[in-house]
Amino acid sequence: MKILVTVKEVAEAADDFEIEGTDIGEQYLEYDLNEWDDYAIEAAVQLSETYGDIEVVSATIGPERSEETIRMALAKGVDRAIRVWDDDIAAADLDVAAKTRLFAAVVDEEEPDLVLSGVQAADDGFGATGVSVADEIGFDWAAVVNHLDTEDDLSTAHVHRELEGGIEELTDVDLPAVLTIQTGLNEPRYASLRGIRQAQSKEIAAFGLADLGLDADAVDSPISRTGMYEPETESDATYFDGAADEQAAQLADVLREKGVVSE
Amino acid sequence: MNFDLPAEHRMIRDQVREFCEEEIAPIAQEIEDEHRFPEEIFEQLGQLDVMGVPISEEYGGLGGDTLLYSVVAEELGRVSGGIGLSYVAHTSLGSKPIELFGTDEQKAEWLRPLAAGDELGAWALTEPGSGSDASDMDTVAERDGDEYVLNGTKQFITNASVANSVLVKAVTDPEAGYDGISTFIVDPDDDGFEVATVWDKMGLNCSPTCEISLDDVRVPEDRLLGAEGEGWTQTMKTLEGGRISIAALSTGLAQGAYEAAKEYSGEREQFGKPISTFDAVRDMVVDMHRKTERARLLTHKAATMYDDGDDVTRASALAKLDASEAAREVAEDAVQVHGGYGYTTDFPPQRFYRDAKLMEIGEGTSEIQHLIIGRQLGL
Repeated sequence: MKILVTVKEVAEAADDFEIEGTDIGEQYLEYDLNEWDDYAIEAAVQLSETYGDIEVVSATIGPERSEETIRMALAKGVDRAIRVWDDDIAAADLDVAAKTRLFAAVVDEEEPDLVLSGVQAADDGFGATGVSVADEIGFDWAAVVNHLDTEDDLSTAHVHRELEGGIEELTDVDLPAVLTIQTGLNEPRYASLRGIRQAQSKEIAAFGLADLGLDADAVDSPISRTGMYEPETESDATYFDGAADEQAAQLADVLREKGVVSE
Repeated sequence: MNFDLPAEHRMIRDQVREFCEEEIAPIAQEIEDEHRFPEEIFEQLGQLDVMGVPISEEYGGLGGDTLLYSVVAEELGRVSGGIGLSYVAHTSLGSKPIELFGTDEQKAEWLRPLAAGDELGAWALTEPGSGSDASDMDTVAERDGDEYVLNGTKQFITNASVANSVLVKAVTDPEAGYDGISTFIVDPDDDGFEVATVWDKMGLNCSPTCEISLDDVRVPEDRLLGAEGEGWTQTMKTLEGGRISIAALSTGLAQGAYEAAKEYSGEREQFGKPISTFDAVRDMVVDMHRKTERARLLTHKAATMYDDGDDVTRASALAKLDASEAAREVAEDAVQVHGGYGYTTDFPPQRFYRDAKLMEIGEGTSEIQHLIIGRQLGL
């Protein structure tokens, strides 16, 4: 059995940054593994440890710089990695559809039984790639999974999905499937130092568009970024002073005033 | 000349830093206040392969180099001097000598559990009447058949109350001076071994510092490390590596103190603006950065030379002298930048300040480092 985990190296801006053109200045960015993907990796590695005989492969779309981040996944127990990149991809403004075409081509190549992705990426936050890939490759899927059990023969995943308003949906998904993994599903491990050392010699295979049977059209996008600005932050906090009963009375006034409770 | 850490070292540094920030930083002051050795932290460090970083893989270690070991020791020191001190004492003093001077059987029995992090190591050189003049020791080991009988008192022994093995220096030939000293692997469970005192200290209180008494402790002859009379040269060799680890730990203390001051000075406002914008405070923070960076460069240089097999007598003494002084100065300035808050235990600078002072004393005082460097310079 094979599990494919899609991972992304995400940018995080420093506390003080400046916008240059339509992006945050490169000097203000630090890169790290997407938080959601850390949980997806842990889920895959735990399945592999539980059942044995499972190969865990990670796939990422990213420049050479991202290899250090990918290696952390290898250090935590991913067996090998695929990195998709070339000049055409670098020149493109990748939207969900383009990423879907790239990952679908990787799935064609690898033929996994289970694909795990993070719910969303911490930087652009589309939150769509996992489900979009499932649709493209014709797998069943479950999004925002915060609890995962599997049948012993790995035919079915019993999942809890986190819905709005604190509601959970309990559902079964037959494999092959795509699950998008929510934070809190498990407790991602620290990479052991031995794991980090061994990861230095694990394979990170580089694929370009041509290697995946695609051409530059695959990363064409009708969407383009036209601007970037920092939204005005507004804070409207009211501080209450006095003894607890006085504060409670003031709070009650505010709630009435705002229409939260009736007169 | 390349000043970048290799990728593997960077990844390990980042992962150890993450562990330190998540697991150690939140309890760092608490374990100091409680004078509690955090066993649970050392158990986790063992699971992450931290406890045997510079020990060969053959004996359960990570097989990393001294530079990697320095990077890890610095990260521990950046959040807790006490945990860092117990760590480097375990590694440089309790484990490394067994790897360097032990037989295969001794390594299998005594080094393997230390390197795997299942057990903790210590060593015992200093005595109540013997500090800088370390060879002037009163502890004796007398041969009796196929055993040695050890008698004496050892002072300021890091980890002794939590260790599973202690490398004890003792005189086997009183007539032979430096060449009359030998090293023995002592098990704290051996009859006659007693931890007489666990000291209350100015800082580093989560790391136990003990007085131990040896009262007719009988050990079989296979507990002799190396040959009789080799104890002093082993000590010199061990301390060369040990000094690099104290330099690394000191660099970590300085880094932790510097970061605390930098952050605080950017947030604290007086006269309507952050105090970091006043020249007096800015210059202090800049100098903290300068000293920390200098300490790290000297430490990494000494570690790299050690890994290259060069003589590191001068380099390791320089690194230890400079980094320990930097740690104390930077920590003192961090208290000053924090003002009244810096004097409270709600903020870490006072802890770094207390911890840093020991770095100028342990494993060779600053005065002894000057002596070593002076000799190396032919003075």
